[in-house]
Amino acid sequence: MTQLPTATRAAAPWTCPFCPLLCDHLGVQADGAALALVGGRCARASDGLAQASAGGDATPRVDGRPATLDAAVAAAAQRLGAARQPLFGGLATDVAGARALYRLACATGAITDHAQGDALMHGLRVQQDRGGYTTTFAEVRARADLVVFLGGPPLGLAPLLYERLGFGDTGAVPQRRIVVIGAGPDDADALRQLAALPGCGVETVALQGDLFASTALLSALVEQRHVVDAPAAYVALAAALRAARYAVLVGAPARLPAHGALVVETAVRIVNSLNLGTRAAALWIGGGHGAATANQTVTWLSGLPLRSRAGPRGLEHGPVRFGSARLLDEDAVDALLWVASIDDTTPPPQTTLPLVLLGHPMLAAHADRPGSVFVPVAVPGIDGPGHLFRSDGVVLMPLFAARPAAQPTVAEVVARITEALGS
Amino acid sequence: MSTLRIRHGRVIDPTNARGEVLREVGVRDGRFATLAPGEPVDQEIDAAGCVVMAGGIDMHTHIGGGKVNLARVLMGEDHRDGFAPWPLPTNALELASCGSCTPGTLATGYRYVEMGYTAAFEPAMVPANARHAHMEMGDVPVLDHGAYVMLGNDELFLQMLAEGGADARNFALIRDYVAWTIHATKAMGVKVVNPGGISAFKFNQRKLDLDELHTHWQVTPRRVVHTLARALKELGVPHPLHIHGCNLGVAGNIATTLETIGALEGLPAHLTHVQFHAYGTEGPKKFSSAALQLAEAVNANPQVSIDIGQVMFGQTVTASGDTMRQHAQSGLANPRKWIGADIELDAGCGVVPFRYREQSFVNALQWVIGLELFLLVCNPWQVVLTTDHPNGGPFTSYPHLIRLLMDKGFRDEQLAKLHPEVAANCALKGMTRELTLEEIAVMTRAAPAKLLGLRDRGHLGDGAAADLAIYREDADRERMFTAPEYVFKDGVQVARAGRITALPVGGTHFVEPGFDDAIEKVLSRHARRHGTLDVGHAVIGHDELCACCNGGRLLPTACFDASVSPAERRAAPKPAGIPSGDRPTDPSGEGQS
Repeated sequence: MTQLPTATRAAAPWTCPFCPLLCDHLGVQADGAALALVGGRCARASDGLAQASAGGDATPRVDGRPATLDAAVAAAAQRLGAARQPLFGGLATDVAGARALYRLACATGAITDHAQGDALMHGLRVQQDRGGYTTTFAEVRARADLVVFLGGPPLGLAPLLYERLGFGDTGAVPQRRIVVIGAGPDDADALRQLAALPGCGVETVALQGDLFASTALLSALVEQRHVVDAPAAYVALAAALRAARYAVLVGAPARLPAHGALVVETAVRIVNSLNLGTRAAALWIGGGHGAATANQTVTWLSGLPLRSRAGPRGLEHGPVRFGSARLLDEDAVDALLWVASIDDTTPPPQTTLPLVLLGHPMLAAHADRPGSVFVPVAVPGIDGPGHLFRSDGVVLMPLFAARPAAQPTVAEVVARITEALGS
Repeated sequence: MSTLRIRHGRVIDPTNARGEVLREVGVRDGRFATLAPGEPVDQEIDAAGCVVMAGGIDMHTHIGGGKVNLARVLMGEDHRDGFAPWPLPTNALELASCGSCTPGTLATGYRYVEMGYTAAFEPAMVPANARHAHMEMGDVPVLDHGAYVMLGNDELFLQMLAEGGADARNFALIRDYVAWTIHATKAMGVKVVNPGGISAFKFNQRKLDLDELHTHWQVTPRRVVHTLARALKELGVPHPLHIHGCNLGVAGNIATTLETIGALEGLPAHLTHVQFHAYGTEGPKKFSSAALQLAEAVNANPQVSIDIGQVMFGQTVTASGDTMRQHAQSGLANPRKWIGADIELDAGCGVVPFRYREQSFVNALQWVIGLELFLLVCNPWQVVLTTDHPNGGPFTSYPHLIRLLMDKGFRDEQLAKLHPEVAANCALKGMTRELTLEEIAVMTRAAPAKLLGLRDRGHLGDGAAADLAIYREDADRERMFTAPEYVFKDGVQVARAGRITALPVGGTHFVEPGFDDAIEKVLSRHARRHGTLDVGHAVIGHDELCACCNGGRLLPTACFDASVSPAERRAAPKPAGIPSGDRPTDPSGEGQS
């Protein structure tokens, strides 16, 4: 049976903004300042709510000293306006925030990147170069009879992943075969949880070399190319993939190594090969903290994804060149605007550059020095409505307020900075 | 109060008058109005030597939503200038936005407005992706917009169709579901894409003819089409079912297309990008034009309208909900890459880059077929000018297309460049018809407005929204339609000689058909069973729509009262909400309403 607590759906609509699954079956109960999760259990959601409950009374700061919002906006505009090459990083915000940030990025010639930009680029670069074939949660739940995890199940990123994919729901697919390639010691608990679910036959397959080599081997076998001394487990898995009605490869770009795009590309190749005869697709878990949202929004406005800028040479994109860590390491930028409105898990990097932090109230300590501006901002989905893209990239989830807002939204603050820049 | 007077222009307003008329056009507070003689005005334009038309309306253009954004990512080559970055705008009003075949939403708005267009409709909004589509459309500046929601491949519809049996016992429930989906997604109409075929592909069927059974649900595309067309008719949704038929791009698909018209049994419908559905199997290459057969069917069925989906030569990308056909075509991708997706028990999408080449027999014939269709259908009110942007070519090629249609000599010059067998043998060679400015005005403004039920758009009659374009008369029609002298949106000048001058936010068109809310129980059960979006969360409210669309105006279009006959409806008083002024007459004499 499904573990979705459908019978206890919360009365007031709420979408949890704290992970890429954006679950809408849970609810929030306010008890004074404290927000509590109701209608189900999720450690990530509870952590996010606890942070939201704790950080209520932060105020703007300029150079480490308390300031009015007006003064913080003016200081932010002055510092970004004075920069020759600002970097907009973090970008943990909703569609409205990303829309506003694009205007400010155009006005300042800033480079945009997300806190999880490296993971985002693994998938994006493969989409750009090769394309792909993907699926969504409800399709997996309804149809997938074989699910192959490339690496351990990413429950750390998406705690309710099994529930959302319908694992344990024998009504839709009575028996699913679930194969995990390359699970590590940290995945033991995730595997135990999986094995305990009804209708899930779980197997683990050891890596052959690294994850890329293992997926490449599987790809060759799926394409029925001759492979000398192919391990029996891989031969059997390739045969199972070809025999499945709907095989789904699941991976998490954030868990992939430096050249993770190679793994993604190989998965695309496997799916395309399978689709010549049967049906298959990939599902990538990630894009949380507004990564997918900022990327989609900037892409539709500008035509180019994140890691782009409207610079002196024109509108340009550099998936490697414009990575935040690299730009900061190489002193290629001279001011940093960091946005982290959802929780405290994406703080700004250590830097001595002029810093403007539009942050969750809990992040105040990260911009408490000379040369910094801190503006506490509303948490989308807690302090007000908004929109975030779900992990599967298709569904733009509506967010709902769980309490009255004490802080301005990212969109409001950014609009004011943009306005101040022009004056 | 703001007023505008345009004098000495040749006014082409097919909704209100036959032919061109030399008359003054007045605007008061964003609406066309008859100004008193000698009344002082805020702005006066001397339009001597110019043609005045309503703003252009593109009723089938993929401007926003998931697959369009995927196309932008896939077509990185199209978003730079060779190896150099895309140049920044030279107009301080514009923000940086790039791309030719799938430009960013900002550039989409700028380029449409510069050509004199003031509204555009996204034809393939997936319910699960509806908010995203509205967000993107909201970020297309200036243009009013709306979308047709995709139905007919969603598992709940197919399940209900299967449960109702051949005599459609549960038709009322299905009709409520259609209405609820329009309501929830704030759509302007319903589009069916490869009826049942997208779902069938999920069950590993590789083709689905009109009378072929879906292996799982045991229903045929014929029933899908008829049921949806009937539901929309009974709901009084002004735009009839928007049909992307079975077998897109397949040689010999004319048979399916003609049978699809037959399957409607007289119900109104709009067949979209018909160029891709008008192929025969004659000739040595077993691929031929069936434009004549299709045009005869359209001429014989006044309740049917079409848009063409003209192919233009050069690089583009095809973005479609039709995963079955896009997968089949993916081997032809140029560059060799493509994106597909199975979507949320709702639909699918496929994005395949294409380069249409003059020397390709097939591409040359596709180009010919599109033009033949334009020239063979007698009544321009049944035809809408489109390239199915970006699938046949980008919308920026419309001025070139208009010249091809209006200028036989130019058309012949282009024809001579094509694959020699096509150039030598096509029927197009002998076609002498040159479309008139009035016919172009019908196909690019008046007919789309009428087909969408937009009574106060697409014409210059008193009370209509003052969306208009003033083109400098030029024998080179491509030059003429590339950069009008003036473009006004709701009475505000938004472009001057091909340069943006103001960027008001466009409005959102949608319809709100009525339904019995008992359908929500069925939907709740389905959502719980399949883990799809909670029913309460699925509905986009007016406030949320407004936020999605950047605060643009909400423009609900009234549904027809299905109990009233078309003749009675024409005689009936105007529904509330439609501004004062004469209702447009229907010169075609074939009102679909």
